[in-house]
Amino acid sequence: MSLLKLEHVTKRFGGLTAVSDFNLDLQEGELVGLIGPNGAGKTTIFNLITNTYLVSEGKIILGGKDITGMKTDKITAEGIARTFQNIRLFSELTAFDNVRTACHLRLKSSVLSAVFGLPGYRKEEKEIDDKAMALLKTLGLEKYKNDLAGSLPYGLQRKLEISRALATNPKVLLLDEPAAGMNPEETLALAALILRIRKEFNLTVLLIEHDMSLVMTICERIIVLDHGVTIAHGLPKEIQNNPEVITAYLGTGDLYA
Amino acid sequence: MDRRMKLILTIVSLLVFILLLWLAENYMDPFIKRIMNVAAIYVILGVSLNLINGFTGQFSLGHAGFMALGAYASALLYMSPALKATNFFIEPLIWPLSEIQIPFFFALLVGGAIAAVAGFAVGAPCLRVGGDYLAIVTYGFAEIIRVILNNLQNITNGPLGLKGLPTYTNLYWSWGWALFTIFFIKKLVDSSYGRALKSIREDEVAAEAMGVNLFKHKTLAFVIGAFFAGIGGGLLGSLLMTIDPNSFNISLTFQIVMIVLLGGLGSITGSVVMGVSIAFLMEFLRFVESPMTVFGLTIPGISGMRMLIFALILVITVIFFRRGLFGQKEFSWDWIFRSKRRNAE
Repeated sequence: MSLLKLEHVTKRFGGLTAVSDFNLDLQEGELVGLIGPNGAGKTTIFNLITNTYLVSEGKIILGGKDITGMKTDKITAEGIARTFQNIRLFSELTAFDNVRTACHLRLKSSVLSAVFGLPGYRKEEKEIDDKAMALLKTLGLEKYKNDLAGSLPYGLQRKLEISRALATNPKVLLLDEPAAGMNPEETLALAALILRIRKEFNLTVLLIEHDMSLVMTICERIIVLDHGVTIAHGLPKEIQNNPEVITAYLGTGDLYA
Repeated sequence: MDRRMKLILTIVSLLVFILLLWLAENYMDPFIKRIMNVAAIYVILGVSLNLINGFTGQFSLGHAGFMALGAYASALLYMSPALKATNFFIEPLIWPLSEIQIPFFFALLVGGAIAAVAGFAVGAPCLRVGGDYLAIVTYGFAEIIRVILNNLQNITNGPLGLKGLPTYTNLYWSWGWALFTIFFIKKLVDSSYGRALKSIREDEVAAEAMGVNLFKHKTLAFVIGAFFAGIGGGLLGSLLMTIDPNSFNISLTFQIVMIVLLGGLGSITGSVVMGVSIAFLMEFLRFVESPMTVFGLTIPGISGMRMLIFALILVITVIFFRRGLFGQKEFSWDWIFRSKRRNAE
């Protein structure tokens, strides 16, 4: 079943077309990679899906519901969570509080019942605590519960961002370069982790990544972007041998011919 | 230390505090009592501004405006009709305000509520601006309030202000409200809502992507902050017995901002400690404004010298304690007993 659909999505910044006529049909449970050289418009697509940027043209549909132009926090509530390329944790809050903050959107109690600690709120707060703790455990971060997010090492910050995103109960998880700055071993562990959480949380994952070993091992389908245009689309094998993709990444040999 | 022990300690210290208040109210010199009242009001104002500036990270300079609304609204409600008639001798007060008189407590609540509505009105459009621009817009709002108060002759009595207000404010009222403010805002910032507010301070983009409704939470901070500012304004009016539009100018806001900055953005403890300290320093530093002789040089009394000393303190704090006296730390029983144990070792 199609879960997330992008139809003819285009984004123009003044005269620059960052993304042009982008189409995506993400099936439930899929793990799709989005690759391309720097400046190809990959992160822009994430920002369009979450409406951090408003699309110039086209439609975004989540589970049959048109979410184009919906407010970012509403889109998150609908079930799309993301991580950021340049880690955006709440650095002055603890790891635990980072995850608990992301549980806030499902809170039903009013402000006053929170302030006066009414039973309804206390129950919800307890549920939030348990859920956040379980998520920290899932990613092996329980030891760092009370550490400030900003003081954690880089690799753990990436993991914390993933657990924070999971706390919003997403259907679709958008991962923006989760392996950036990791060594090959860490990348391998990350690949296993992504597969594990996909299964555990019934996720559909869209992944931006420069590390080809990661993309080629875990992605079922790959979309290649260059200058905002989709230049290739297919299985990892097909992409690896696609001449256009090779040209986009490496350029042509004409200069020296 | 377990939770029950802490609860007992809290209750005992509250009872001791109430006993001290009772002693102070009955036996203390009126001059000191007055400073203690001002201290409580500074605590209310500091803690409520800290919610907006420190916890939510929205730098607001509108506190004097909210205070003015609270002070005027409550005063017009608790003054007796006869007192109103003597005050409004240029142009009479409009009906029905001229006839109404309600008890002090309810007048304060209405004053707070009106300030809260204004807080919503300022907070909502301010969602679109941040940082320095927000400071300018909120400052503009406070000035607009002041100008309106100066010109609505038949409601506010214009620049003449309101005089001879009954002094309802005593240590029970002022410290009662201060304790309630501390309780309310401490509970709020420790709750799930508080985490959402702090996440806005930390990273607005990430907060929104994690499902935090920016509009709702920013206006929430403004509404609650403004409500307590309105209460503080009402208490101050009844303590000073006279209010006029120009007493709610920008320098009043800066005094509150100073309390928050010195205490630490995001520390309620800091705002409480600095609120009390500044109230007392304001009085005890009066001597620098009287004529004095230094090294045979006679300096005539310069009014406003006190502010120069506060400016100096602020500069020193900004250089050496960039995050204020307490940073983001809070008082807790654990903290007290841990440091004691450390000293004993």
